[in-house]
Amino acid sequence: MTKLIGYWNLAALAAILLLTQIPGGAQNLHRLADGKPDFNGIWEALNTAAWDIQDHTGQLGVPPGLGVVEGNEIPYQASALAKKKENFANRAKADLTESKCYLAGVPRITYMPYPFQIEQSTKAIAFTYEFDHALRVIHMDGQHPDPDSFPDTWMGDSRGHWEGDTLVVDSRNFNDQTWFDHAGNFHSEALHVVERYSLTDSGHINYEATIEDPKVFTKPWKISMPLYRRMEKSARLLEYECGFYLQEEQYRDAPFKK
Amino acid sequence: MSRKPSSTVRSLVATLAGAGSVWLLFLPSPAAGQAAKALTPSYVAPRTPDGQPDIQGIYARVGVGGLAVEARESNGPHGAENPLDATKDNPLSVSERSDGLRNIPKGFNVGGVPLAGPAPAEKRRIGIVDPANKELPWKPEEEKKRREFLAKTNPAAGLRYVEFDARCALPGLFLNQGPFEFIQPEKEVVMISEYSHFTRTVHLDGRPHLNSAIRLFMGDSVGRWEGNTLIVDTTNFNQYGSFSREIPYLSDALHTTERFTIADQNNIDYEVTIDDPKLFTKPWKTAGLFRRTKKGYEIMEYACAEGSLTLENIFGKPPERQ
Repeated sequence: MTKLIGYWNLAALAAILLLTQIPGGAQNLHRLADGKPDFNGIWEALNTAAWDIQDHTGQLGVPPGLGVVEGNEIPYQASALAKKKENFANRAKADLTESKCYLAGVPRITYMPYPFQIEQSTKAIAFTYEFDHALRVIHMDGQHPDPDSFPDTWMGDSRGHWEGDTLVVDSRNFNDQTWFDHAGNFHSEALHVVERYSLTDSGHINYEATIEDPKVFTKPWKISMPLYRRMEKSARLLEYECGFYLQEEQYRDAPFKK
Repeated sequence: MSRKPSSTVRSLVATLAGAGSVWLLFLPSPAAGQAAKALTPSYVAPRTPDGQPDIQGIYARVGVGGLAVEARESNGPHGAENPLDATKDNPLSVSERSDGLRNIPKGFNVGGVPLAGPAPAEKRRIGIVDPANKELPWKPEEEKKRREFLAKTNPAAGLRYVEFDARCALPGLFLNQGPFEFIQPEKEVVMISEYSHFTRTVHLDGRPHLNSAIRLFMGDSVGRWEGNTLIVDTTNFNQYGSFSREIPYLSDALHTTERFTIADQNNIDYEVTIDDPKLFTKPWKTAGLFRRTKKGYEIMEYACAEGSLTLENIFGKPPERQ
């Protein structure tokens, strides 16, 4: 009898696990001809992670926000934590995404306060971001290039695969120039990001990213947030040409005396 | 934490190659007036699940009008001295450049995009195809302004006289050599360019163009299929469009009509009508050819602005911002 109850408990547990793996409503998702859930559309995060991925109070120009880091603490190595604090102090210049309009890197580009577009067919997937017209082609086959014989990149080399209805994107081959936010949270060129995109219904993506960098952190850590579909009928990506606008301002009176 | 400069090979090489190199890779053709007929007229493109002719894949482009315009001015009235024979393999190869302009170091992808082949069976229309004599229909007063503008470009008299290409701005017209990846979600054709990492979305759902208050480097594109031909209508350009070194600007009245005709499984004929009534007395057309790249070829990152010192080198260091 006790054995039987044990089995029933196991079965119930398995059912609960199964249900948490497949979020409610997922079976009603619009799908492509190949059966994959349809991620096409314009999406945007609605949080303050671009300013600071951790819990933070408001400041002039910084909206307050709840963090997106699981457990809120980032497992920095001791020397790296000192570097993070230095970054924070120098952020006005040292955050190249804000000061020079350089590409924002991954996962930061996902939660910049600008929309992005997912382009998906049965043959290919790519992400285009309004900020800096950043582009990530998600290669669904092939392998990461050998980092020793291949130049590093701002947005990483992204390889995707499906785990059920979840699009899993594995990215490596980053440079060490981008940050996770404007608060100085950083990584090295050893950064490895695994993102998981799961539609919870047609209007929401549950987004998770596991961040690993043995040169900076003592262990992998995770961020998560919902991404919201832009529902406006006319929604489409426009252009935020940050670098061009900056040039127009900085070089308005050029040439300068040497 | 080391602060390496941007070491993406292509961005480095782009800096080395300098301004305008993208345009200058295109060789002019004498094939003006040759009909843009399909290579295999009976070819029927496979269909996507939503019934569009399937144009997906990764392509490099052979020739477009940019250099043809320059050749017309430097090499005589018809600019036919550097014909590009599209039947040759790897027509983007550096070794075929006979114009003595900048060399592109090996390793720059454009110098050696592996093509899927087979090569087209006949020469394609490449470069300016209308008017037949390649003389652009400038309004006389605009032609004068253009020449005055060009006189201030080298050295650049100010920011406005630096080629947009050298500033890593979005290129506006869809004329660069690629490689490109075309993706077809439902009711859309998305065109991704490795160069400048830009994306165009051509909306096929019948939506109207954006309000004219919204201006974009790449314009607003809507389209439709006619048989194997995708026809793309683009408006809402900003005033920062340019065509080539010789046509350093177009106006915000620019309206383009592009025709992408799937010729066979590996080739797409391309023609664009440039209608800019502020600058020209009538529309004109230029043409090129997209060729499919070898299976396994991938779009990579082309970071342009990151680490670029172009403007600083031209003008000196800008004063610190307050």
